[in-house]
Amino acid sequence: MRLTPEQLSARKKRNLALAGALIVFIVLVFTTTVLKMKGNLDDRKEAATAGQIAGAAS
Amino acid sequence: MNRTASPTSISTAQPEDFFQLLKPRVMSLVIFTAVTGLVVADGEIGWLTAAIAILCIAVGAGAAGALNMALEGETDALMRRTRGRPVAAGRVGKNDAMSFGVILSVFSVMLLGMATNWLAGGLLALTIAYYAGFYTLLLKRRTPQNIVIGGAAGAFPPVIGWAAATGAASWQAWLLFLIIFLWTPPHSWALALYSAGDYAKAGIPMMPVARGAKSTRLQILLYSLVFVPVAVAPGLTGLGGAIYLAVSIAGGAGFLFLAFRLWRSRAGDQPDKAEAVGREAALYDVRAEAKPARNLFAFSILYLMALFAALLVESMTSMMRL
Repeated sequence: MRLTPEQLSARKKRNLALAGALIVFIVLVFTTTVLKMKGNLDDRKEAATAGQIAGAAS
Repeated sequence: MNRTASPTSISTAQPEDFFQLLKPRVMSLVIFTAVTGLVVADGEIGWLTAAIAILCIAVGAGAAGALNMALEGETDALMRRTRGRPVAAGRVGKNDAMSFGVILSVFSVMLLGMATNWLAGGLLALTIAYYAGFYTLLLKRRTPQNIVIGGAAGAFPPVIGWAAATGAASWQAWLLFLIIFLWTPPHSWALALYSAGDYAKAGIPMMPVARGAKSTRLQILLYSLVFVPVAVAPGLTGLGGAIYLAVSIAGGAGFLFLAFRLWRSRAGDQPDKAEAVGREAALYDVRAEAKPARNLFAFSILYLMALFAALLVESMTSMMRL
């Protein structure tokens, strides 16, 4: 089966767009994961600090 | 084994065609109202997470549009307003559009849930299912109230934005929902009044087709009488400030004036036979008596944008002061 130049060009463009979309998606998932982990770490730090203050007060 | 695929079965769809499946113009309104909901909610959300949330809401709304176009390709091909759409025009296959919509729906919901919370993710999933499934498949062809009930799909974005920022959907978020919900019938029916022929051809029982132009004009006026006080309400409940109150009252007066003028007009009435002969109207070629309908349609978009812009400006101003 031989594709026409128009079909080849359209397929190449679609593939490039798909690759771009996949890269954006990977970056977004990575960023979200890092932000979530950072949030959890900050929460733990806050909880530990609150615990120390409570311990010192008692 | 004989592969039967022929060169003609290979798509020539361009990436732009897939972008058009997302209904970019609708998406811009969704982004705007979702941003407003997210900012006005004043939750504890970082700017990067907020940007991801807005992107997810926009893509989710686009996915619903792609599913709608996949399901309505044949109907869209019958109407001037929609016959240039990628599926209707044959540039994108129905199955391709469907797969595209499903994949984007799943990814946008999952990512929104992960990045913010699952209330926001769930509301986005509900919106997509409501629009593509409930409205497109069930309501649209069955009842002239299609746009009234289906309008809820377009009203969810500020609630999703609010939920993304705060993890909850308070009554203020539902007030924003109500504004868009009540805005949708007069807005859509004003458009339907000057494109009723298209809807009739496609067999869609829009209000002017099912109940006639006179009844539609009256219902537009009645909905406007309910909508405008609701649009003013955020200014009286503390959600909006003085700017919002001024914009909502002044714009609301304009909205009611145009709805009243439309009610008094002959917009949507059947043209005289002599007048209609030999006349193939272009898409937005509106007959003189239908102009009040077009004026209300155009003003309704402006008014909704102004309402949400006022809320956004006031929230951002108060955030900058802090």
